[in-house]
Amino acid sequence: MNKTRNMILVAFFIALTAIGAKIEIPLPFVPITLQVLFVFMAGILLGKKLGALSQLLYVAMGLIGLPVFAKGGGLGYVFKPSFGYLIGFILAAYVIGLIVENRELNFKQAFWASIVGLLVIYACGVPYLYYILNNIMGVNITPYGAVKAGMLTFLPGDIIKILVVASLTPQIHKRIKPFIENKRM
Amino acid sequence: MLKDINIGQYIPGDSPVHRMDPRVKIILTIIYVVLLFVINNFYGYAISSVFIILPVVLSKISIRYLFKGLRPILIIILITVLFNLFLTEGEVVYRIGSFSITKEGIRMAAFMALRLIFLITGTTLLTLTTSPIDLTDGIERLLNPFKRIGVPAHELAMMMTIALRFIPTLLEETEKIMKAQMARGADFESGNFINRAKNMVPLLVPLFISAFRRADDLAMAMEARCYRGGENRTRMKQLKMSAVDYAAFAFTALLSAGVVYTRFFFH
Repeated sequence: MNKTRNMILVAFFIALTAIGAKIEIPLPFVPITLQVLFVFMAGILLGKKLGALSQLLYVAMGLIGLPVFAKGGGLGYVFKPSFGYLIGFILAAYVIGLIVENRELNFKQAFWASIVGLLVIYACGVPYLYYILNNIMGVNITPYGAVKAGMLTFLPGDIIKILVVASLTPQIHKRIKPFIENKRM
Repeated sequence: MLKDINIGQYIPGDSPVHRMDPRVKIILTIIYVVLLFVINNFYGYAISSVFIILPVVLSKISIRYLFKGLRPILIIILITVLFNLFLTEGEVVYRIGSFSITKEGIRMAAFMALRLIFLITGTTLLTLTTSPIDLTDGIERLLNPFKRIGVPAHELAMMMTIALRFIPTLLEETEKIMKAQMARGADFESGNFINRAKNMVPLLVPLFISAFRRADDLAMAMEARCYRGGENRTRMKQLKMSAVDYAAFAFTALLSAGVVYTRFFFH
């Protein structure tokens, strides 16, 4: 694979993740963004190393204050209860890349890899939410309350997004093959 | 469906703060953040307020923009204040029904709120006075010493720059695809959630494919111009430390000493 092109692809997935945070499906009460969808796609299409790198840089850029997060950016994000999910994105992209490595990118593969990725995101996000609420913001919440607020409310929406990822993957993979099997190298 | 997006909070200007070397601004911001966590009483905040007020005045940036930076975490500040106010145990000052406000609660609430406000204001000031390109440039230069242990400083900064550059482009692309698909009868705005998610597919497939195609074009364009990373690169705009930068360092050293003093000798 070509180095310059890899660099650019990582950059594009940073940009896509930033855009994903801003595309929202308008629903009554809780609008849902498509961000995780781009995280899963980064893992699937870029692989473990580049996928994780794109998410790592995304988070780093947001923390520095470059405007990539859903609400701007800045160091203050570390104190948001939801910051744990962003850490989860990095690991999830890596894990997903690891799972789909050297396998055919079909619906089933993409689906199960994304499910594992989603669990990784929750595994980072929920304890973080619990910690910030209890120790930084002084809001008392039980572990079950944290699971309910940080996972169960999002689970149905996230599963549907995974279904979208799984149906996208074979279609996209088929058509970017000429770009991946690089003509020039 | 796309939220209105403001890319970048940077406010162009020609103040001494704007002209400072981005490397110095990043380092000073880091020192400032660390200091905020050293502070354990209100005297410390009094000193750190000087640290923030001086650059704000010098930068001639309207306070409005700083408040705007605070808005995203306003709710967090409010929740923090309310919970600390009502749930800290101690000497009761005031009682509303079964809730009581204690002296310690008021102190704690004010302390936590101030910490968050100072933290956000300081980091917002950095992005308000430094253009994204200067920021990534500064980061690259700061990471340079770590090249020896394998940190690809130039590549990391390059990826950030490309990402920033292409957010508006890819966003425009998204809008264009959306309109094209709507013209063909795609419906993004009605139906239940499952249907709406399904309707995303005709938007996302072309978006990803066009991203890959664009990446390929850009790579080819860069290579055609003999791009080969940061080695031996010369720059048109050299970063240089000026008198303002040295003054800022001296000023920071003074304030840091002050903050450390209040932590250990005032109670």
